[in-house]
Amino acid sequence: MEQTDRSSRIAWAALLLASLIAPVVVGFDKYLIHVGIIISLNVALATSLWMIWSLGFISFAHAGFMGIGAYTSALLFTKLGLSMWYGLWLGAAMSGAIALVIALPLMRTRAVYFFMASWAVGEVIKRNFAYFRDFFGGWDGVFNIRAPKLDLGFVEVNFADRLAYYYLALFFVVLTVLVIHRINNSRTGMIYWSIHENELLAQHAGINVFRHKVIAFTIACALAGLTGALYAHYQTYISPKSFDIWKSEFALVHVIVGGLTTVGGPVAGAISLTVVDELLRATGYFRTVFFGAVLIAAVLLLPGGLETIPGRLRSFFKRSDK
Amino acid sequence: MNQLEIRKLTMKFGGVTAIDGIDLSVAEGEIRGLIGPNGAGKTTLFNACSGRYPITSGEIIFGGERVHGLKPHEICRKGLVRTFQHVTLFKGFSVLKNVMVGNHLHANHSYWGSLLRTPRTRRSEAESARRAREILEFVGLGNILDREAAGLPHGHQKALGIAIALAAQPKLLLLDEPCAGMNNDESREMIDLVRRIRDTGITVMLIEHDMKVVMGLCDRITVLSFGTCIAEGTPAEVRENPEVREAYLGSQANVA
Repeated sequence: MEQTDRSSRIAWAALLLASLIAPVVVGFDKYLIHVGIIISLNVALATSLWMIWSLGFISFAHAGFMGIGAYTSALLFTKLGLSMWYGLWLGAAMSGAIALVIALPLMRTRAVYFFMASWAVGEVIKRNFAYFRDFFGGWDGVFNIRAPKLDLGFVEVNFADRLAYYYLALFFVVLTVLVIHRINNSRTGMIYWSIHENELLAQHAGINVFRHKVIAFTIACALAGLTGALYAHYQTYISPKSFDIWKSEFALVHVIVGGLTTVGGPVAGAISLTVVDELLRATGYFRTVFFGAVLIAAVLLLPGGLETIPGRLRSFFKRSDK
Repeated sequence: MNQLEIRKLTMKFGGVTAIDGIDLSVAEGEIRGLIGPNGAGKTTLFNACSGRYPITSGEIIFGGERVHGLKPHEICRKGLVRTFQHVTLFKGFSVLKNVMVGNHLHANHSYWGSLLRTPRTRRSEAESARRAREILEFVGLGNILDREAAGLPHGHQKALGIAIALAAQPKLLLLDEPCAGMNNDESREMIDLVRRIRDTGITVMLIEHDMKVVMGLCDRITVLSFGTCIAEGTPAEVRENPEVREAYLGSQANVA
């Protein structure tokens, strides 16, 4: 157990170090840094989606809540001139607040009913952005959402620069993953998984199941909102289509291919599948077909996901020792 | 004063009356047996007391407080804790973790504490693990803390179910067929465990079909039949009661 603990700590440190020096390694290649930013955003989205899964729910509303954060931050910038430094937090807060209200009825549903209800929630959020043209810009979306600057006294960092934005996104994805990892490894996480394992018993062991479901959903959606704001100020343009059901489904696929039981799962899944997706860009029209083939292969050849690889390797080497 | 007072309790599910105006009281410190033929309403009574299903009418008073209408977790917090007839565990968790979930109630828990991992949170988590170990020692599972719950033999799973309930620090423990599916040795251990639980000051009410267990273990026995209470008394009294023989055991039955 302790050994697993130590090796997982080493793996996290190595991953962080690799992310920090990655731009240097790729020779500050603009396209590859762009891929790096997309990876970061996907990791953050998949991890917060996984947090909802830790209570046993698969939410299809996640991209919708990402959109609430994105639109909040974008409109604060274009209409009121507030920079992303405010938009990030207000976007997360707005997403969390709306999630809290929606969770009150939503988290009373279960299994396939939750699946359908959350799908509807995500779709309604997206259609609201499209419907209220004057406020949200309709299907055309919102333009000219600029990245902020940061005056450090001796030097001014302009985050419109890709490299700077890469480190900004990295900072917030690390923050997101850290928050979720901490919660998951604490007693709170244990309570979440106990609800996942056996809700009836959890209730009768004195756990206020509904309250934990609502709080977890709210936190996860607030973090998705934060990711959304980061996305908006990077792309400089958002539209309802940016936050449709496919975005939620991709996040879910990242979680499934990465693994469902540890926080390393969604992180590994989002990194590797984003890379695969970019590699398949050359296949043009057939990209989604190949992507689908990769998914099927991953699920068939590696049940349990990427997170099971360390364990598989360990038992493989143990066997060959004998 | 009685610890548990059930007055005129009625439970209806659609057109079916599962419990029909039962009065029942349990004194502090006793082991109460609840027997009756299948469908008599024993488990329904437990479901009512633990808040799993809303009651139709009547009152459930625990420790002088009304508990009917409360949610299961609220009733558990008041010290009225139940176990389940079928093995009900957090199957993917280790034995230790199962019990740690049970005793989270009595450890201070906050989201900020979880997030920041304050020294207080760490101390409280260590304390929780220590208490869980004690409880597992007590039920006889102290040497298999790291085993996964799903892989345990039946007897150990039943004991673990009780350990989870004990972790919530009950004043009254409702055991739904603790000896179901057990062999003689396992049964004997379970009887011993229930006695030891009572000796720590916890009142026990249990449903059991095995007459040897019920007669040997319980201070008093309540007999239910078709949702009503047809007899109550010491094991000897209940054994001699002709109505019980008639309703529960068949008129020719020879009660051991």
